[in-house]
Amino acid sequence: MADAALWIMVVVLAVVILLLLQLLKRVLQAATSIPAKIDAIAGVAAAASKDLDAVAVLLTTQGYIQSIRASVLDYGGSLDAALPDY
Amino acid sequence: MEIQVAIIILLVAVIIAELAIFLIATIMQLFKINAGLSVVLPLVGQIVAKTGPVNPVVDDINANLVVTRDALENLMLKKAGPDSAGLVESLFPGEGAKFLRRVGRTGKVVNVGTVYTRGVGILAGLGRGAPIGAAHIKGAAVRDPKYSTTEVAKLYPAPPDRRDPTRNIPKAPVIGKDPVHSPYEAALTPGTRTRDAQGRKIETPPPSAPPAPGSRPWER
Repeated sequence: MADAALWIMVVVLAVVILLLLQLLKRVLQAATSIPAKIDAIAGVAAAASKDLDAVAVLLTTQGYIQSIRASVLDYGGSLDAALPDY
Repeated sequence: MEIQVAIIILLVAVIIAELAIFLIATIMQLFKINAGLSVVLPLVGQIVAKTGPVNPVVDDINANLVVTRDALENLMLKKAGPDSAGLVESLFPGEGAKFLRRVGRTGKVVNVGTVYTRGVGILAGLGRGAPIGAAHIKGAAVRDPKYSTTEVAKLYPAPPDRRDPTRNIPKAPVIGKDPVHSPYEAALTPGTRTRDAQGRKIETPPPSAPPAPGSRPWER
């Protein structure tokens, strides 16, 4: 009886080893795939950060637009005075 | 020791070894991930910092453009009246209806550009005295290049509010209400008025002899 129990335990342990092997293999695969993706993200982030250097030019554009608005409004005021209404 | 116990001990050792090998490998990968993320995070921070002022700047630009557009549209409505949408349509096809919706008006949008060639609409806006149809659009300019401002001054010697009301100069015609029929008569005698400002027929003067060469003001 005790012999049978020991053999069953041997079989269970063998099955556990196989299952554990599969499980740990998948965990390792998932963990191994992450650094490559992080490297790719780092490259993209560096390029995006460099591209965004041009955002500072928007401040210049903002200034231009404000000047253009003032000029157009002045011009419209002059046209309003110069042209007869409909 | 029985053989089963020895096998069990062996199997447990294998399990422990398996766990150790894979967990150490996984830990190594986690270290790599940590290093990679420590590179990525500052870059993401840079992106966030650089894009931070974009929204208020773009909002400000949009607000300025909207104010400018509204001012110009109101000016156009004030000066061109019902022809405004047609003028917008002639310059930006498809925008005439949107313009009408923006200014809260309804009506048919008549593309002024398809009814009048560019420039003719402007001349028509000057009044009935404008030489519409006096010559072909591709021909020479129907104006005196030297005294053109004098001719314009004869048409409208002063802005409407300062004009002599007794002269009864008609208002500029409406363009685009009925584009099929032009408000102007076909010019049978280009360059010559057949009716005066009040619509009365003008007697045709007898043909005069052509001026002698060199007698015109611009030939002197």
